[in-house]
Amino acid sequence: MPPKPPSAGKEKLIDDDEEVLQAVILADSFNKRFRPLTTRKPRCLLPICNAPLLDWTFESLALAGVQEIFVICRSHAEQVKAAIRESKWSKPGSGIKIVPILTAKETFSPGDAMRDIYTRGLVTSDFVLVMGDLVSNIRIDEVVRVHKERRKTNKNAIMTMVVKESGARHRTKARGDSSVFVLDPETSECLYYEPVTAFPQTTLAHVPREVLAAHPEIEIRNDLIDCSIDVCSVEVPSLFQDNFDYLDIRRDFVHGVLTSDLLMKNIHCYVAKDGYAARVKDTKSYESVSKDILSRWTFPLVPDDNHPSGHVYDHERGNKYIAKDHSVVLARTCKIGNNTLIGSSTHISENAQVLASVIGKNCSIGTSTIIRNSYIFDGTVVGSDCIIERSIIGSNVTIKDGTEIQKGCLLGDGVIIGPAAKLSPFQRLSKKPDEADEPTSDDEDDEDSDLEEVEELQGSIPKNLGKDSNALVWPTAPSEDAEEDEIANFKNERFMRLGDDASDLDDSDDGSESSSSESESDDDSDFDVNASSLTAPSDTSLPLNLPAGSPMAESEFQTEVKQSLERAFAEGHSVDNAAVELKTLRMASNVPLTRVREAVVAAIVEKIQVVDTGAVAQRKEIASVIARWGELIDRIGGVDPVETVAALQSHCASSKHLPLFGQILAALYQDDIVEEDDIRKWHKLPVSKGEGLKAKEDELENLRKCWSIGAHMIKQFDEQESESDEDDDDEDEQDDETAKLQSSEMVKPESEEDSEEESEEETQETTGNPKVEAKLESEEGSDESEEETSGSAAQLEREKDASGGNVDVVVDQTARKQETSEEESSEEEESGEDESEEEVVKPLAKAEASVQHEVKGAAGVEDKDKSPVVVAAGEGATAQSEEEEDDDEDEDEDEDEEEDEDEEDSDEEEDSDNAEGSQAADGLKGDTVLKQTK
Amino acid sequence: MDIERESTDLVKREFLAVLLAGFGNELLPLTSDHGDEPCPKSLLPVANKPMIDYTLTWLEQAGIKVHRPAIYHHIHSGASLSLSSLRIDLQTFDESQDTSVGTCTLLRHFSSRITEDFVLVPCDFIPSPSLPLSILLNKFRADAISDGSIATTCWFADHKPEKGAFPEEWGPHPQPSPIVWDEASGTLLHIDTPDDQDRNGEEIELRMALLSRYPRTKLSTSFQDSHVYVCRRSVLDALHEKRHFDSFREEFLPWLLKVQYQRTRRTKYARYLNPITNTTSQRLALKHSTMSKETSASNDSFGTLLSKDPSISVPPSPTDGDDDHGTSNSFRVGVIIHRASAGFAVRVNTIPNFLEINRRLLSQVTYSLPTEPKDRSLIDQKAQISSDTIIGGSTQVSERTMIKKSIIGRHCVIGKMAKIVGCVLLDHCVIEDGAKLEGCILGKNTKVGAKAELSRCVTQAGYEVSAGETVKGEKLDVSDWTAAPDDDDDDDDNASEDEDDGSD
Repeated sequence: MPPKPPSAGKEKLIDDDEEVLQAVILADSFNKRFRPLTTRKPRCLLPICNAPLLDWTFESLALAGVQEIFVICRSHAEQVKAAIRESKWSKPGSGIKIVPILTAKETFSPGDAMRDIYTRGLVTSDFVLVMGDLVSNIRIDEVVRVHKERRKTNKNAIMTMVVKESGARHRTKARGDSSVFVLDPETSECLYYEPVTAFPQTTLAHVPREVLAAHPEIEIRNDLIDCSIDVCSVEVPSLFQDNFDYLDIRRDFVHGVLTSDLLMKNIHCYVAKDGYAARVKDTKSYESVSKDILSRWTFPLVPDDNHPSGHVYDHERGNKYIAKDHSVVLARTCKIGNNTLIGSSTHISENAQVLASVIGKNCSIGTSTIIRNSYIFDGTVVGSDCIIERSIIGSNVTIKDGTEIQKGCLLGDGVIIGPAAKLSPFQRLSKKPDEADEPTSDDEDDEDSDLEEVEELQGSIPKNLGKDSNALVWPTAPSEDAEEDEIANFKNERFMRLGDDASDLDDSDDGSESSSSESESDDDSDFDVNASSLTAPSDTSLPLNLPAGSPMAESEFQTEVKQSLERAFAEGHSVDNAAVELKTLRMASNVPLTRVREAVVAAIVEKIQVVDTGAVAQRKEIASVIARWGELIDRIGGVDPVETVAALQSHCASSKHLPLFGQILAALYQDDIVEEDDIRKWHKLPVSKGEGLKAKEDELENLRKCWSIGAHMIKQFDEQESESDEDDDDEDEQDDETAKLQSSEMVKPESEEDSEEESEEETQETTGNPKVEAKLESEEGSDESEEETSGSAAQLEREKDASGGNVDVVVDQTARKQETSEEESSEEEESGEDESEEEVVKPLAKAEASVQHEVKGAAGVEDKDKSPVVVAAGEGATAQSEEEEDDDEDEDEDEDEEEDEDEEDSDEEEDSDNAEGSQAADGLKGDTVLKQTK
Repeated sequence: MDIERESTDLVKREFLAVLLAGFGNELLPLTSDHGDEPCPKSLLPVANKPMIDYTLTWLEQAGIKVHRPAIYHHIHSGASLSLSSLRIDLQTFDESQDTSVGTCTLLRHFSSRITEDFVLVPCDFIPSPSLPLSILLNKFRADAISDGSIATTCWFADHKPEKGAFPEEWGPHPQPSPIVWDEASGTLLHIDTPDDQDRNGEEIELRMALLSRYPRTKLSTSFQDSHVYVCRRSVLDALHEKRHFDSFREEFLPWLLKVQYQRTRRTKYARYLNPITNTTSQRLALKHSTMSKETSASNDSFGTLLSKDPSISVPPSPTDGDDDHGTSNSFRVGVIIHRASAGFAVRVNTIPNFLEINRRLLSQVTYSLPTEPKDRSLIDQKAQISSDTIIGGSTQVSERTMIKKSIIGRHCVIGKMAKIVGCVLLDHCVIEDGAKLEGCILGKNTKVGAKAELSRCVTQAGYEVSAGETVKGEKLDVSDWTAAPDDDDDDDDNASEDEDDGSD
């Protein structure tokens, strides 16, 4: 940040864009970490170094040239309003307009507050969003300038977060509540945000791989303190409004925006190299911020200069600050340690020791009392011979003689304890409510109920508070019946507690982390397993275990998808658009991908009309639908062909499209939406056989039918594979195969059919074309025979051989024609062509041909014998076909052929290069070499 | 695989270089056998110098002299000797081109012969002049003494060819794996292995232990491993413990990186990896030197440097004990990141890389006619040879032939009217009259017939392109050498003699 006097920045802002720089302060903490100090007072009014936090925040913003501040207050709003009224900023001429905004009691999170900001329409341009507990001397105006600069070129840069460089374990960085930022080192765009908690310990940080695609080099920063200063554009509140589930600004909003593939917004970080910014988020950071102020890290905001409450302190060597108005009474023998602040009119008696502590105004410290690392608010009286260690004592507290307060204690306002009370570490005390002077206002209901709860528990807590005590002891640990996450939360909070190093938690954690990362017994080969088991919990925490779509929501989703696709079908959307629509739907209703796939498959199947004008038309219909929309199945956000088949099966089983299952599957196969392997995999699944499914009996039956169709298909794949070596015209064969698949599949369920519902339609369909019916019957017959007796196939083949070569030639030519047509026409057309070819063949070759064709498709053995026959027959007939054969011929044939080719080549050479004899010689030599190698 | 070493030396050596020379399966067909004579990767000439020469010079410049004579001798005493030495090792590992033995296995096998810290070097890494080995060695020396680093490696900027620069048939550009490193201390922290990718294809998982130890790390996919590792001898002991590791780079190194920040692994393997505790004075000196400030700062950053307030200590952290332990024995794996701006380095392990490095080296030379009258007489006056060309000795270039931006090996014969642009021709190639070559790599003894046109082709040694043939963007291998290799060779020889006669 270039050094620039503050006024210059201010002027520039005003000059440049006449806009008033607005800031929004969320003056509510939305948590209870400071209780019981905050039972009667909002956190933002707790004093730190004898000035309320809110004033520090105002001071920080004023330094940045902010002109209009909205303070969003919820709890104790009246007190906040009063404080604002009385602060120096409200005086005329301060140059800042501060508007307190009272938000509803139902505002439970920063997200709610943002929505409130949106509905009230408070902000008109880019604004600074801070929390009400900020202490900072960072030049926010610089951040705003950078932000606006960026906005000029990139409208999607909606937010700039200010983060401060530190170490992995800075004392102002809460261990329980830190974060990992993934940044682009060039643009400091925040690419990913991962919150880190100390308990349950975050052991793995995840960086999405897709981030790497766009940014080849990124920086992972675990050394940044999140200052909670955000420069936001106007869109930010509206985004909160749109996403009503955003609660926390970091965990939900930032994380959500960065991981969303719909919003396409960018969030940047401003890494502050110098300057200071920290939030008083918890008691631990209260301590560290206090110490930072005392050690002048916040300069120019220090007690002896620019003190937000206008107090004036003398700064002495060793960072001792004593109120300058000469009202402080320090006994001759008292000892004031380094880094200590003592407010005005405070009296410190003989032999008292105040070390590294903050004492408020009008306090009195008794003789021989030792106060170490503690924070005592205004008007507190500490008796003699007391020991106070690392604690926060509220205002107007009375601690009587001989009291010992151990580390981490919090004493609420007006508490009286002692004499000779002993507080164990981390005890929290508040005044009994019945002795409260002022009546509690209405809006403190929940606080009261908390207090009552605490009161009820009093009997169970052992205590030694002294006879004059008016204190209630708050429970230190969550009650036995507390919920699991509450305990986890409590443990995490412990990392943010004053004086608590949570070493017990930490130790056990470290051990468990390391022990799970590598097993104790033997390390060879199994640490991968362990590592993967480690990842398991993090996986399960993902929304996998969401109440996997209540049946209601699911059916709703199904209909939504159906409607959306119907629209897409009707209006002829592109597959891309339809896919986007589906993705949005899926996100809206939060259903697993499987459901989407099922819905899409179902919709596409339903789109296919059952044609009763015959199998050909039906096949055409299927092919056209699949060709147009099949792609969509793989475009919904994940590709899982096995699941696709399963979805198809289950849908067909429960609809009237059951007879079309085989044809549809074949069509999907042809369009490469499912592969052979996928069908095999699906077939192996126990579910595909209907095992372990609780469905109605007839549905189970249908499932099994589908499965057997699949089995049939796989069988053909196998055959195809085995014959593919010897097969001359591989591709043709495959086409034939699939064409046959389609035809045979259609019949297959019927042939085994017991339930009559579908058969009606089927017969309707088949009777429409008697020719086809006849063919189907013949196929049916062979289907059965083929399964039982391979001998019959061989027999058929022999018959066919005997019947003469002409049949073979015809078939071969068909194959040839098909190939040429394949080259020209697209695939779906080709399958139609197939069909028509078959039709042509049938009348020609009559029953024999159809039988022969059938056999060719089904029995692999046969083709082996056949191919030489075809070659022999074809050689004489068509030279073209011979060439065909050559392409894929066996080694021996290859050799001959190559020789031919070589001869040709050399001929050509001679033709072209006859002038240069040496060349030709060389060519010939090459031939000889090749021949020898053979 | 070739491992060379020299043990009879009176002065105690600091480093032993282990040079691995593989087959170069990625460089097929250039590395396919020529007859039954292998063409190992290490002997493939780059700008007419065997690849291994570059590595050896690199080693020599760093002052690792000991073993240079040993290998150098092999190279220059002719192919047969070096090959015979190769073969011995091949037999030792019972290895063939198909079943390659991993680096770890090799190292374990030879561990008895490695008695000091060692430098593992591939034969195919050609570094830029701005990256001498001594940078790595110095970093290793400093790190090892200051905080017990155990290894140092080097990653260099990956040079991605523009789309379409090389035909797809030449194989895909290898996707570099993502790495995480700490820039301040130059520490390699994590390599994303294919296993990791299988486990979680969506995200890269990083341990928080890593991130808290090295809070500011970089993650990038734009760097390639140079496969140069400077290691402590003790690393070999750890290697013996992890018997199942096969590949150094893909399995052992990622594991070694984890030892840096995972506590149980640390305690478990500390006794194997424990670096020699150096004299305290040395460490003390380094601690106070300005050179190592960076490193030490990053290591005890959360200890002393950041507690801003001296009067109150940082809340005692339970890991403090660890940290102390850590600073003395960090088991770090240092890394030198060689960025693209610092010069071009490459591993010649793919064909596009091979062509690329040849072209790069070409741009540094200017061609001048050979001085030796015998060689000079072979180059016709009317041949056009551009200045960015290298032509090996005893090569004949006939009249009106144009050669641009190409490297021609030794003993080649180039006919009349030929046109050669952007090609690499290895030794003994024969290009007949009127042939046109563009962007090709021809293995040795390749013959290109008259008026043949080749563009962007790679040929196996001994391949023959018949006259008038036009081939584009293909890898051409001789289909069946093994059938009758002897006859073949004879034929070849005769043929080339004939050829010579004929064209003369």
